[in-house]
Amino acid sequence: MLEIKDLHVSIGQKPILKGISLDIRPGEVHAIMGPNGSGKSTLAQVLAGREGYTVTAGTVRWLERDLLELQPEERAWAGIFLGFQYPLEIPGVANVQLLKEAVNAQRRRRGEPELDAFDFLERVKASLKLLEMDEAMLYRGMNEGFSGGEKKRNEVLQMLMLEPRLAILDETDSGLDIDALRIVARGVNAMRSPERAIILVTHYQRLLNHITPDHVHVLADGRIVASGGRELALELEAKGYGWLTAETPVEVRP
Amino acid sequence: MIPVTWRDMPTPGALSEGRRSALEAYLAQGLPHSRQEDWHYTALDHLTRLPLHPASETDAPRVLDEAPGDVLIFAGGRLIHAASRLPSSILHALQDQDLEATATLAPATALVALNNALWRGGGYLEVPPGQRLERPVFLRFVNDEPEAMAHARARIRLGAGAEAVLVESYAGGTEANYWCNALTEIELAPGARLTHVRLIEEGAGATHTGYTAVQMTQDSRYDLLDLSLTGRICRHELHLHLAGEGAACRLDGVFLADGRRHSDHHLRVEHAVPRTMSRTRYRGIASGRGRGIFDARALIRPGADGAEARQDSRNLLLSPHAEIDAKPQLEIYADQIQASHGATVGRLSDETLFYLRARGIADKDARRLLLTAFVGEALGLIQEAGLGDWLSPRIEARLDAIGETMK
Repeated sequence: MLEIKDLHVSIGQKPILKGISLDIRPGEVHAIMGPNGSGKSTLAQVLAGREGYTVTAGTVRWLERDLLELQPEERAWAGIFLGFQYPLEIPGVANVQLLKEAVNAQRRRRGEPELDAFDFLERVKASLKLLEMDEAMLYRGMNEGFSGGEKKRNEVLQMLMLEPRLAILDETDSGLDIDALRIVARGVNAMRSPERAIILVTHYQRLLNHITPDHVHVLADGRIVASGGRELALELEAKGYGWLTAETPVEVRP
Repeated sequence: MIPVTWRDMPTPGALSEGRRSALEAYLAQGLPHSRQEDWHYTALDHLTRLPLHPASETDAPRVLDEAPGDVLIFAGGRLIHAASRLPSSILHALQDQDLEATATLAPATALVALNNALWRGGGYLEVPPGQRLERPVFLRFVNDEPEAMAHARARIRLGAGAEAVLVESYAGGTEANYWCNALTEIELAPGARLTHVRLIEEGAGATHTGYTAVQMTQDSRYDLLDLSLTGRICRHELHLHLAGEGAACRLDGVFLADGRRHSDHHLRVEHAVPRTMSRTRYRGIASGRGRGIFDARALIRPGADGAEARQDSRNLLLSPHAEIDAKPQLEIYADQIQASHGATVGRLSDETLFYLRARGIADKDARRLLLTAFVGEALGLIQEAGLGDWLSPRIEARLDAIGETMK
């Protein structure tokens, strides 16, 4: 459903992605791993439509459409979700208000009726429960004063409510303690379905102990240097990134 | 034209003694100019080039929407509509004798003096001690006559322990280049409580100069929502005197300066005695070639120990040609006071916009959401005064319009 072909992306004059090709089919979970600066986050941002990146070559097709033509909101309406590495705080916009606006904006675009207050609340409560989040979080300013873990859980909450066809989670595991990691993974696993694809962008393999990927790709210096199954992630954990990216400075923390 | 000599007066013979001396006070000063410190940010030179004349008595005023309360509507300086359940002893059209019976609160600066000399229409509200008005009182001033000069007036008195909500609004629906010069004097007896919404919604070609004087006694409470939504060149000057222990005021404001709008908010708060409190919170948005000004000073006089003064001005600049001047000032001569002031000027963050858009919220809706959230911090009084249905859509419509033009 997502076909990335020979994608080249620069920031200003600096090439970041140097020819990425990926084919993602419904029901699959792909993990994209790699050292810092390898271009993982750039790939996630470009797929979601962030400005400031120049696509210099290549194509991205999503459900038979040219994804790169679409505005960020159009991509969301087409079923793409980006879980942010650093979710933003928006004081004055209550969490519940943003959720409702986002859910209903997408439903309107798809020609579905808006959720009434009751149905909406029912669904939010079920998702909150799954993520072990307090209902009071709904009425606080968007991510305002949330801890790192709360912010990441809030991203997963939005994903559950928006029910995307493709969820891209950009380092959703970073900064989480083991309990929060388990809860976030539970939310992501709840999303797995034959119609839906998930891309996990991550530095460490520990998230993959909780969410089993179908494919693992290693990104280094803007290229995919290795692809494989689950076992590739374990091998990375044992050996670090160095053996794949000899010319790339490697930084692997425990 | 604006009178500069006696000969320019429309009907000098008809003036009372009081009005004649007010006019003399004005003539001695002339229009304020930007070399005066208090008028640093706002120039009125354009008025001298207009063939201004007193507003005519019109019988066909623009129809205004219904207001949820007791209402007096003035057009062209004349009462044209009253819809009030209150006895006339509480609310009536202002008469000369009402002013003669009360002490003047505003010093005779040029524009105050000109209003004193030439005002024609206005409202008088006097709430007896202990009485609490159930519905808001609306004083609405409408102008849409080109080159007309209207001097609007309001006199408000709350007896001890009385409570009221006052909405003072200025509107004009046309492009007419009229000038509205307003003067409002407010007296609060001990324990009285007034919520005051002052709404500038003047026509796109209008000039508005307003002066509000507030005299507060012991344990009285004054909550202001100072809104400036439309009108070409607008200025509101507030002079508030905290003269009784325990007096407290909350001054909230929002100004939206888009297009070529100019909106100047000039606040002077005086803490004259101990245990007085002022909290000022303004949110400003400037876009296009608009200019917004927050110029506030809290003065804590010697002996006003234990006073508390807070000033908070936050502003958004949405275009490279827009301008914000934020000047919070504290002048402190007393001990053991609590005071703080802060001003910020920022932009809408691209990152935040992207975050909302990535959630499927369309660009213009995302902007509206962020602008609404930004001004929302200063709009709490709308709900507290029960004016949400009447007032919120006006602000939302303006934010929508500003969001649309951003891109």
